Amino acid sequence: MATTADGMKIQQGRRSFGKLSGPSLTMIRLPLSFLLLTAIGVQPLQDPEPVGFPVLAGYEYKEGMTLPKEVTNLNEKVVEIRGFMRREFAGSGPVNSFMLINDACGCMGTPMMNEIVFCTLPDGVTMELLTGVVTVTGKLYVGEVKEDGDVILIYAMDADTVTAS
Amino acid sequence: MRLLLLAVVAVPAIAFWPTDPQDPDQVDWAQHVRKACESRRFGIRLAAAKRVANGGDAAIPAIAAYAKDKGQNAIPSSLVDAIADANVYEPKVTALLTTWAKDQTFYWRSSAMRGLALRAGATSNQIERETWGKLFHAYTDDPAWLMRTHARFGAELAGQPNPNQAPERDPRARVRLARLLLDYGKVPSLQPLIDGLADERTFLGIPWGARLGQESSKALNRWLAADFPELTGGNTLESTAAILAAAEKKSGQSLTMPKLQRDPEHGITGGFEIASCKFGDQFVQWSADGTVRFGIDGSRTVKLPADKWQELSQQQTAIALDANAGVVVCDKLQMVLLDAKTRVDIAPESLPTAASDWLKRLAQSLEEANETETAATLRRGLGQFEGR
Repeated sequence: MATTADGMKIQQGRRSFGKLSGPSLTMIRLPLSFLLLTAIGVQPLQDPEPVGFPVLAGYEYKEGMTLPKEVTNLNEKVVEIRGFMRREFAGSGPVNSFMLINDACGCMGTPMMNEIVFCTLPDGVTMELLTGVVTVTGKLYVGEVKEDGDVILIYAMDADTVTAS
Repeated sequence: MRLLLLAVVAVPAIAFWPTDPQDPDQVDWAQHVRKACESRRFGIRLAAAKRVANGGDAAIPAIAAYAKDKGQNAIPSSLVDAIADANVYEPKVTALLTTWAKDQTFYWRSSAMRGLALRAGATSNQIERETWGKLFHAYTDDPAWLMRTHARFGAELAGQPNPNQAPERDPRARVRLARLLLDYGKVPSLQPLIDGLADERTFLGIPWGARLGQESSKALNRWLAADFPELTGGNTLESTAAILAAAEKKSGQSLTMPKLQRDPEHGITGGFEIASCKFGDQFVQWSADGTVRFGIDGSRTVKLPADKWQELSQQQTAIALDANAGVVVCDKLQMVLLDAKTRVDIAPESLPTAASDWLKRLAQSLEEANETETAATLRRGLGQFEGR
């Protein structure tokens, strides 16, 4: 158990991740990103754009609708979003993916599809869910994703860092 | 002769023709219910839940069988919410929602109550409305805020508001009821939503005020539609004033401009939240001088005697827990100590003994400070978290 300088007690000595049972993210992920960007020479490393649930969830989502420009403009951008981590399926132990929602308690009712960001950590990286508000940084993908004809998500994120706020 | 021949050929063919796959009586509801409850993908569960909900009465035996096999609380909130929201008003559905709503051990009883409220709003039969009214009145002062809010919503829609219900003290409930009524098309007093716009309060770091602001803004945006003002952002009070003006104009109501609500500086050092769909939420926080605050907004305070508080303070290591405990489905106890940087979630029956004993001593101290009712409420709320 470690205590972060600006956060709460989390279940492992790293600030970004509660409990890493896979490779260390910052040791592998960031140099890889840097190498890719350097090699391709497309863009410099950018500061993540802060995005809030008032924007992501600020409209009435209906399946098949044209999503508002405010959210489609965020597609494939590196963003940071504050919210609460929730398991996609009830259980315990470390996770490789989680839902980021706008509600501290699961008791407020089922979140709407545009009130959930489905976050995935890099392959092999898992962490314990952090309690309280967290900030998640990574590349956001916007658009309906269907499985067997059903929309299963509209916001997905390749999460690079998760920080207890 | 030709017709006779056609009949001879066609009848057996029709007999073996595949049944309409949309025929609710022919659907494998058990499979859809399993998917709605067990799929590991949230989106799949949600889609299956909507399918089950739209099946109406035909799907109910499969839900009942699943609950009997796996336990009532294996039914996820997404399925109950989908059934509540479905535009299907059939007797078996209503009976199931009623059973769920009346079952205090069922986590999602408030969602079931919302489903009943919506169904009560659909009837114009006065006798039925009175029957609904009686059901709702039994829950309009339920300790769980969503439960009583949905019961009040139902009573309103049935035209049977409960004149004896207690004034609502929880700001979340005030906003939610106004939002539900507005979404339904009944314009309530809009003041709770306007107040919600200017709320930035937190409880031990959880920004519940901002959440109310978003809920209020979204509801008013939907209702005002094209009349919703263009907001520049960055100034809460300016935005609130613009929305208030538009809301006054459309509703004809006289609305008061709220003050910006922020946390007062109380020097809070720790506390806990009991989030309980079953028994109601409790919010307790304390400062170093032994002032204990109750309610999400900390509006009720009790000052413990100095010696009692000193004793409790010295024993606070008992609640400086370093890991979550148990599997949280709905009800949870969140313990927060700011100095120790502790924030952990405890599921029912998972509270370590030392922490449980500390919380009992806190309740005992409250009782000795003549806060008998507060102490009893606290004990009731903490009961389900004690380790077994």
